[in-house]
Amino acid sequence: MIFLNLIRNTKFRVGFILLVIIVILGSFSVYSPPYYKQWYRLPIDQPPRLSADLQYILGTTSNGRSVFYILVNAIKNSFIIGLFTALIASHIGLLAGLVAGFRGGVVDKTIMLLADVIIVIPALPLYILLAMFLRKVLTIYTIGLIVSVTSWAWPTRQVRALTMSLIEREFVITAKLSGMSSMKIIVSEIFPYILGWHLANFTNTVLYAIGSESSLAVLGLSILHEDTLGTMIYWALQYGALYRGLVWWVVPPVIVIILIFTSLYLISLGISEYINPRLRSR
Amino acid sequence: MFATIFIAYSFTFLLLKFMPLDAVEFIISQYIAGSAATYQDPAVINELRQSLYELFGLKGTLLEQYITFLKRLFTFDFGPSILAFPTPVMELIKRALPWTIGLLSFTTLVSWIIGNLLGVITTYIEVERGSRVAKILQGIALTLRPTPYYIMALVLILLFVYFIPIFPLPGAGGMLTPEFSFENIISIIRRFTLPALSIIIITAFGWNYISSRTLALNIISEDYFIYAELRGLPDSVVLKRYVLRNILISQITFLALQLGTIFSGALLVETIFALPGLGTIIYRAINTGDINTALGVLSLSMIAVSLATFVIDLVYPIIDPRVRFR
Repeated sequence: MIFLNLIRNTKFRVGFILLVIIVILGSFSVYSPPYYKQWYRLPIDQPPRLSADLQYILGTTSNGRSVFYILVNAIKNSFIIGLFTALIASHIGLLAGLVAGFRGGVVDKTIMLLADVIIVIPALPLYILLAMFLRKVLTIYTIGLIVSVTSWAWPTRQVRALTMSLIEREFVITAKLSGMSSMKIIVSEIFPYILGWHLANFTNTVLYAIGSESSLAVLGLSILHEDTLGTMIYWALQYGALYRGLVWWVVPPVIVIILIFTSLYLISLGISEYINPRLRSR
Repeated sequence: MFATIFIAYSFTFLLLKFMPLDAVEFIISQYIAGSAATYQDPAVINELRQSLYELFGLKGTLLEQYITFLKRLFTFDFGPSILAFPTPVMELIKRALPWTIGLLSFTTLVSWIIGNLLGVITTYIEVERGSRVAKILQGIALTLRPTPYYIMALVLILLFVYFIPIFPLPGAGGMLTPEFSFENIISIIRRFTLPALSIIIITAFGWNYISSRTLALNIISEDYFIYAELRGLPDSVVLKRYVLRNILISQITFLALQLGTIFSGALLVETIFALPGLGTIIYRAINTGDINTALGVLSLSMIAVSLATFVIDLVYPIIDPRVRFR
């Protein structure tokens, strides 16, 4: 029902359709042949090329791998990173925000001080430091953890602000006076109002995490043996794809990143417009 | 605000303490392996080891370690770099800093001005005369808003280096030197146009345009604005005194929030375009495993950006008469 309402919002609709297209594209990774990753098994005496062959529909890289299969696997892995980070960070944000807003006092001050500090410190240098030190143990999931270190701060601020305005409302006060436990008030009275924002935060965190991973990858600090959208760009740049004119190697990840970001951004905009009608028509 | 910087630095300190690899030996072995062909003076290597131990806070008790670490920060002494041994890290930073600051301040300022003016003026015209320019720009802005700088940089390289070859390939033309000769300045401009553009396009249209448009739409529905219109004030006065002034004030806070992101973005753009700057130093430090240099550049930049944000916060009440401290 909510979804039907949401889909009426143009921004959400466009974003959702784009996302579905990308997910379908990414799901082709299931069909990728097992040898696509093992570049040492592929013939390397052939120059990188574009061909009409279905397997090499987007051409090959300079060591004979199919760009198409790299791309679909990159989409899959980037989404895993994004979703993993969002699962951790946005839920930490939700919890910390609820606690800070509900408890107030010292707890609130401490949580907010931490959140403010993290918002002010530029995130990328911090990620670079963390990634450099964790280089030996980098996996898709540790990248998610690294990005989570800072991405809980915005959701926390937002959820706290919402909670603080909600606990002043009459229905919460009524619930409190009628003897409801704090836990129950949070779950049944406050949570339904926050859920929409939480969803928007979740989408934003997915976007942010995919972006941060690719930033790290451009610097060569991501998991370079796995295919993500970032590492795809990194290897293309490392093998001089721009200098050699191997456009088909660079263009697909760039286009897919732009599409993913636009679609997720539009979805989160659509959700916030749905919850907050004052933002509509702008 | 000083708490922020303090916590940022303590955080870095803790990070170094719990590092999962023995960085000092790692750095030294890497350095020795990297220069195996030449004879290394053992005394020099010992000195390097000592300064690294001190830098990473591995000497003395925890409190002592922490204090030395702070001292190193305030004296800007980050020890020797590995990638250009034995040049001190500070020397490398000094060479790179003007380029980064130049690129950063130019792009931030230009995009702030362009984005805000464009946002206000197109929205005003849209509301007054019903033109569709603002709608179209808004559509473009929504696509640009979440796009990272380095993606824009790649798009620009593909467009203006590969398909329409007007600009040189990134890195072509060798090292840039800060000399004031006509040819040198031309080559600097040629090398810096695309990087600057990739930052300006995203910041101006993606961020400043969207937020100034939202603010303008809010102001246009305010009573005092309608009153000004009814009084028959000319468009230029209404625009300048009633809309623009109010928007620019709130946009200064926004500028403070943007700084960190623009800085991180500029680092990556520099890397992609192989410009001399902090980004390229970090890139080289990462690729040579030079934790020493990376630590110096990164902690310094974290502190610099936090400080800049703080300064903007301080300047804010001077510009905005409504929040003057009493």
